Amino acid sequence: MTSPIETPLSRRSFLKWSGAATAAAAVGGKAPVLYALTPDETKKSFAKPDSRYSVCGMCLNACGLVARVENGVITKLDPNQKFLKSRGMLCARGNAGIQQLYDPDRLKYPLLRKGERGEGKWERISWDQALDLAAAKMTEIAEKYTRCGVMFTPGSDSQSLFVHWFAEVFGSYNVSTHESSCLLSRNRAYLDTFGEVPFADILHTKYIIVAGANPFEALITPDSIDLMTAKKNGCKIVVLDPRFTKTAGLAHEWHPIRPGTDMAFFLALSHVITSEKLYNETYAQEKLSGIEQLTEHVCQYSPEWAEKECEIPAADIRRIARELAAAAPTAIVYPGRRTSDYVNSTQIRRSMAIVNALLGNWDSPGGLLAARQVGLSGPELPEAPFYDDNPEHRLDKGMAHMMFEEEGAFKHMRDAIISQKPYPVKGWFIYRYNPLQSAANRQKTIEMMKQLDFVVTVDIAMSDTAWMSDLVLPAPSVLERQDPASGLQGSAACACVVARDPVVPALFESRPVFEILKGLAGRMKLTEYFDFTMEEYRKQQFKLLPDADRAIREDGVYYNPSKLYGIYEGKIYKTLSKKIELYNERYAQMGVDPIPVYQSPKTNPVNQFRLVVGRNAYFTHCTTQNNALLNELMPDNSLWIHPVAAKKLDIKDGERVEVTSNAGKGELSVSLNNGIREDTVYMASGFGVLSKGLTRVYGKGACIAELIEDYADDISGNMAMHETFIRVAKKGAL
Amino acid sequence: MHWFNAGCWIFLFLTGLGLIQNDDLQPFTSWPTILRIVFGGGANLLLAHEIVGITWAGGFLLYGIIRLKSDVIPFFREIFNVDIHRDFLWLITKGIQMTLGYRALGIIAEKFGFSPIIPDQGFYNIGQKIFAIPAVFGGIVIVVSGVTMILSQVGMASTELVQWAILIHFITVGLVFAGLLIHVFMASIAAGEQPAFISMFTGSVPEDYARHHHKLWLDEVKKS
Amino acid sequence: MNKQLAMVIDSSVCIDCKACTLACKVENNVPEGKWRNWVKRSEPDFNKPDWMVHSTSFHFQPGGCMHCEVPTCVQACPTGATYKDEKDGAVKVDPKLCIGCGSCIPACPYGARYRHPTRNIVDKCDYCEKRRARGELPACVVTCPTKARVFGDINDPKSDAALLLKKNQSVRVINKESDTKPNMYYLSATAPLNWPVKAKMPDPIQLWKMAGPLIWGIVGLNAIGVLIMLGKQILMNDKAPETDESHEETRQS
Repeated sequence: MTSPIETPLSRRSFLKWSGAATAAAAVGGKAPVLYALTPDETKKSFAKPDSRYSVCGMCLNACGLVARVENGVITKLDPNQKFLKSRGMLCARGNAGIQQLYDPDRLKYPLLRKGERGEGKWERISWDQALDLAAAKMTEIAEKYTRCGVMFTPGSDSQSLFVHWFAEVFGSYNVSTHESSCLLSRNRAYLDTFGEVPFADILHTKYIIVAGANPFEALITPDSIDLMTAKKNGCKIVVLDPRFTKTAGLAHEWHPIRPGTDMAFFLALSHVITSEKLYNETYAQEKLSGIEQLTEHVCQYSPEWAEKECEIPAADIRRIARELAAAAPTAIVYPGRRTSDYVNSTQIRRSMAIVNALLGNWDSPGGLLAARQVGLSGPELPEAPFYDDNPEHRLDKGMAHMMFEEEGAFKHMRDAIISQKPYPVKGWFIYRYNPLQSAANRQKTIEMMKQLDFVVTVDIAMSDTAWMSDLVLPAPSVLERQDPASGLQGSAACACVVARDPVVPALFESRPVFEILKGLAGRMKLTEYFDFTMEEYRKQQFKLLPDADRAIREDGVYYNPSKLYGIYEGKIYKTLSKKIELYNERYAQMGVDPIPVYQSPKTNPVNQFRLVVGRNAYFTHCTTQNNALLNELMPDNSLWIHPVAAKKLDIKDGERVEVTSNAGKGELSVSLNNGIREDTVYMASGFGVLSKGLTRVYGKGACIAELIEDYADDISGNMAMHETFIRVAKKGAL
Repeated sequence: MHWFNAGCWIFLFLTGLGLIQNDDLQPFTSWPTILRIVFGGGANLLLAHEIVGITWAGGFLLYGIIRLKSDVIPFFREIFNVDIHRDFLWLITKGIQMTLGYRALGIIAEKFGFSPIIPDQGFYNIGQKIFAIPAVFGGIVIVVSGVTMILSQVGMASTELVQWAILIHFITVGLVFAGLLIHVFMASIAAGEQPAFISMFTGSVPEDYARHHHKLWLDEVKKS
Repeated sequence: MNKQLAMVIDSSVCIDCKACTLACKVENNVPEGKWRNWVKRSEPDFNKPDWMVHSTSFHFQPGGCMHCEVPTCVQACPTGATYKDEKDGAVKVDPKLCIGCGSCIPACPYGARYRHPTRNIVDKCDYCEKRRARGELPACVVTCPTKARVFGDINDPKSDAALLLKKNQSVRVINKESDTKPNMYYLSATAPLNWPVKAKMPDPIQLWKMAGPLIWGIVGLNAIGVLIMLGKQILMNDKAPETDESHEETRQS
């Protein structure tokens, strides 16, 4: 299928339309005359064009880049070679950042819903009208219900901190982020083991187990790049995954582990390491708390036992344990990133963290590194007001054992809003977040929206979430924005500070969320809390870093070099026992298993497949599928299914199938793939969109969020998205 | 008009030949190189070829429209005015005479039993008529195929079409050129052709000449 | 010594992220549906029952125009619009001489060329000539996360590319029937290997190559005929038998 829009032409016609006439001329008009008579375009571009630093905004990695600007148009984004965290690279999404800016589908003006939610009838209104309306609606909800009656969900963006701040001064504690569909269970587990969330020093490690992660596709800097360097330097890579991902295919060993049984594998590793005394006993005495309890607890979890659960041969489990321990402390069980998979996700990661602890790799080369202080100061903001009539707690309080107070859990909040207990929430402010594609059970999110009086989305594209909103406000891309400084952790590449300045002025009527919030604050008697400019804010952040401003201007990044290893020299761990906790006291006190106790995952109902979620290097989650450049790489999604399983259902490669779960259904083509377990299926995220404003991808593929049933991790509330079983049938057969 | 035609044709032939820079197709490998130096690059050579080509085609198109009744139609009438028996005999006898001489003609004619007398011809002799057909229709084919190649540069022709156009262009030019060699010789260098050659500039021939070479036409003119 | 620009690639570090193809597309305004470069993929043989046991069974191979030593594309071009530049070894297209006949397209065993839908000429990798003129490396080289591609003059013994070739074994990907001696080297080993196709000439051009000698032959025959007539004219004193004297007079005078 070919899109009607061809990239160079669409950019050109787009610019003409936007009024940037000089820019259109620069892209080069090819009049239909003999080619020899048109001006030689090559001569024009030989002159050195304008280059400006910025930082990519296509995903959270925030890779430093250099934007090439010619006649007011950004013509290329190149990697900033001084940016260590990215190892001087810019991936496919980064390069496609230009297309995001110049996308004809991009949101341009404030839009007010005219028909029903999801009908797609919009009225263009002015910013004044839009902000007046939003302020009025939010105030109305605050007065009719409580300040907590408006929920705020800011996504992963440098300006999201202003949304957090606005929520605080507005008076709502109901703030949730993308994190509760992502890594909260991992963070919980590592916080409750080591006292902080670590960063893997992959570059220097010699043995790494990657379980439930896919770094060669789900790019994380510098991990994904360092993993290849480490491999070249002799690091052994073992991958556990029900799918034969690119990481699995480029590793030394791949085991198609039975989904949800990772804990069995890692408990068995602990069994081997403790029973064969393959750990450093001095280290254990000094730094680890609970080695005796652990040794006793994992006695029952032998490799022979684990083999029955995870379907990996016991001999391999034992061998891997020994190899891993032999390479310690330059050995890692990779913590991964997205851990929104099972209802015992936190405990699964606890079992992995425990193995890391036994390897003694904390704070040492090739192991797990602590976060580095980068030196940014908190801004001097006035104290937020107190609202007497506000509820005591956030909506989802107590719905998971150890929820992160400032994160909450979207799944629980959604349930609470639908049930209107403990109190009603009637408004929703969304910034750069797309739960209709990223959160499990799309229909439930829609059901929740039906309960709401007012939904406003700030975004650059008409995402599914924007499509279902009442008011849509156009935001610019990061290349058009001035941002506060952000600190980035780079593990072996050190921590750094980045701050963006606009490469080109904001197009159309787009406004950064900072400006939007200022506008709202002004209309809600909250002006004093937003009474500062971005420059002033940044200045405060750089209070203790006199060199930062210049470094960012001259190098595009600021490095505050600090020790890589040995940060914990002579320090205690931020845990109850002040040591690394194999046995977690606090869990015991709360009635949660202090050392993970294995639970077998649900078995597949007859003729059903477990649906798993995964990423690839072409897209950012579920939000860039409509980008013309990236869409060309993958215009559609398909269901990965093993040929043997497909044969049983009489399904051939490329055939259309209907997929159904207890949450919803969809239709898409099938991709026969030997690289997946026979009991498991997979599809990429971001397709099957509702929004007709995503013209390239609309009508393509199926939406995985429609199918995933909503479960949550017991301890952190993190969404559990691998607990869904689906039925697959030839189209028309169900 | 003839000289416009001749001038353009020669220029086009030489530049066209020079555009073929490919070892498999070009027997005269230094010619393209020379021309590219003269024109300052292959692109300019192509441009010159295309401009003159369009001018040539355009000129003929205009001529064809403006002089349709006065020149074009009579021309074609004459071209197709053929007496098979007489003209075929002319071809044989004249051909032998031009290559082997009158004596040989006599001998061969006797041997094979046909008259050695070269039959009379009209305004154009059959040789000219035979050349006129490929010259004109070949010219049209050359223009169409050439225009196809130009259209390709503005996106109105596919690669397949262009490839066939190149082939046809080359073959047609080659064949017409082959005929052209004879035409040029016959019209200028051959014995007794001086008056004809001069007539291309003056527009008229001496009566003697006309009687010998184009008697049928002379008779017609005399009649009216 | 003249340069030979080339790419030396360690395909074992390629993770098929497609950054290089997108960087090229943006840098060179490559139209939708067309690509100047690519990443080829080699999968394990799933028919083997123990396919999972072998390690590193995916292999990805970045590629692009190989600026060959013996470019069959240049051989196919009628006008010399595509040529190998002696100075830097790159195979180039003169955009103002190319008429878009596309003969060079099937003549490339690697499918590196395409006809540009709006410029109507043939387009392909030019090693990012404009970037190099500014002192930058090609876009695909610079953007790669694992720095799989190394670019340089392999005739300069001090260049990174030349040093890599010197210190390591390397292979090239060729079609046995059309070994164009590509200037793209893969360090140690690479896969897939058997994907380049035999260089093909489009039918009309093949006919042209056959017709050429024929046409020249006909021209030659005609030329010979003319020469015979000329020779006869010069050497023979040819008198017409018993014709009217006025004609003779005309000729004599």
